[in-house]
Amino acid sequence: MTWVTWRLYRNQGALSAALLAALTVLLLITGLHAAQTWHSALTECTRDNSCANLDGSLTLANSVVGFLVVATSAVPLLPGLFWGAPMVARELETGTNQFSWTQGITRRRWLAVGAGWLILAAAVLAGAVSALVTWWSGPNAAMQANAFAANRFDITDIVPVGYAIFAMALGICAGTLLRRTIPAMAVTLAGFVALRVPIAQLLRPHYLTPVTVYYKLTTPFLPTGPYLGVSQGYVVTNGKLPAAAASSFNFNGVPIPAVCRPQASPGTVLSCLTAHGYRGYVTYQPASRFWAFQGIETGIYLALAAVLLAAAFWVLRRRDA
Amino acid sequence: MTVAVETNALTKRYRQVTALSDCTVSVPQGRISALVGPNGAGKTTLLRLLTGLATPTSGQAAVLGGTPRQDPAYLAEIGFLAQEIPLYRRLTAHDHIKLGAHVNQRWDGESVRARLAGLKIPLDRPVSTLSGGQRAQVALALTLAKQPRLLLLDEPLAALDPLARRNFLAALAEAAADGDLTIMLSSHLIADIERVCDHLILLASSQVQLCGDIETLLAEHRILVGPRKDTTAIARTHTIVQQEITARQTTLLVRLNGPVIDPAWAVEEPNLEEILLGYMSQDQAGTGTGTGQARLSKVGGDR
Repeated sequence: MTWVTWRLYRNQGALSAALLAALTVLLLITGLHAAQTWHSALTECTRDNSCANLDGSLTLANSVVGFLVVATSAVPLLPGLFWGAPMVARELETGTNQFSWTQGITRRRWLAVGAGWLILAAAVLAGAVSALVTWWSGPNAAMQANAFAANRFDITDIVPVGYAIFAMALGICAGTLLRRTIPAMAVTLAGFVALRVPIAQLLRPHYLTPVTVYYKLTTPFLPTGPYLGVSQGYVVTNGKLPAAAASSFNFNGVPIPAVCRPQASPGTVLSCLTAHGYRGYVTYQPASRFWAFQGIETGIYLALAAVLLAAAFWVLRRRDA
Repeated sequence: MTVAVETNALTKRYRQVTALSDCTVSVPQGRISALVGPNGAGKTTLLRLLTGLATPTSGQAAVLGGTPRQDPAYLAEIGFLAQEIPLYRRLTAHDHIKLGAHVNQRWDGESVRARLAGLKIPLDRPVSTLSGGQRAQVALALTLAKQPRLLLLDEPLAALDPLARRNFLAALAEAAADGDLTIMLSSHLIADIERVCDHLILLASSQVQLCGDIETLLAEHRILVGPRKDTTAIARTHTIVQQEITARQTTLLVRLNGPVIDPAWAVEEPNLEEILLGYMSQDQAGTGTGTGQARLSKVGGDR
């Protein structure tokens, strides 16, 4: 079966390898350039102690390449879409399953070996692209401390491998259940997007209990490094925060109580508010949890992939071919 | 006499449709058995149940002593050629030979090369570029390369021209010559069936109408021609398969149950086609749905 899988997919494999090579060349050239720009800027700013201003003032790559890098978030979907969904569905559509499933190996083995190699290929492809993107984004991540940002977290390190394995399992399962290539591809695409977006937006901030820091308004607090913000706002320690009002006297949307209003300068308003129990808070996932979060998210997708594959095996064995 | 294929009340239903109903047949080892019947009679369903690609709703099948199942040992014993001749379109015959070697314990790739070389079929061109007849030959050669003990062929002759059909049947007869290989093939072409098959199963309306050695079937049936008269005396001893009564004479196809004594009847020996058409038109009359006779005579006409 290994040879069979190789023979049936070698053209797609060659095409993917060629595209990967092109992407490698592009990212290698622009990445080296970005690293050089970043390091010389760093040397320069250290000299006049202005490194705090680097953020935003430095362009590390042109926007087309930057866009292309963000677009690699679609890479993990592609193997599942173009190899996974047709794997069983095309056999059933063309009837070749009647040939391949009456040879001397069982359907179960046929699926196990075929799916195994396709999953491995998808993981390698997504992993290679992710490694490239992670390296390429190094200077940018150092400058903007954005490792936890959506569109960064999702395209670097190990999560793309999890997505790719999930997409492949989804494609194979959809093809096995629907028995038609195009519907299976549509389901794979829709399923991938329908899961990726809510998980990233809604679930990810809560993988671990977030840290909440209360701070005095006179000494604002910002977490260090690339953190994942969950929420932020203001509280009154001994009472209820007045509802936001369209009053002309407010601080970041919080109405300033009458007692603090006469104060003219902003500094005294803040100390007055602090004295009356007003505090700011930030709830966030600290930068130190980055790898834990990468691991948890990868784990979620691997678990989903396992369920989908189990369903595909069950259906393939039980249902008439 | 060893039995290669035996089914007992084998039934397959797809939601509302009954594809095969209460099918009990038996094919002795070494026979070339023809599976005959109008389209939609259940021939493909029966073959697929025997391969294990489909599972029966009820009833049992025993093939070479075992139940059709997803198991390498079972799969090694059967060779199946589906009606649409499924091959990987972009792969060459050579690729298929290598593929077969990778997924079969027992595989005679050399026989495929020799056979296709003899037929002047190119090994190095994608099978999609071959003619329908060439594809069928490639697929048959690949099926035989498994060296199965039961060969199940679904309408293998449909794609072939008369010469290719003769070559194909000759190849089948040769493969079955040593008596170990059993072949079941479905076909509409009665003349070709008569040439190579020695056993026959007639399915109509998803039910078995006839099953047995062709010689025996021929010996068991007679056409009786006589003056218009009451047939109850005949029906008492024999089974009337089909009757045609005109103003002057009565023609009966009967399954004998002893000699015909009444001298009023002229007894003729029917050929296989007459027997088959008799049973299929009986089905047509009985259910009002069968179109076997029309189909068979149409196919018979173009041979």
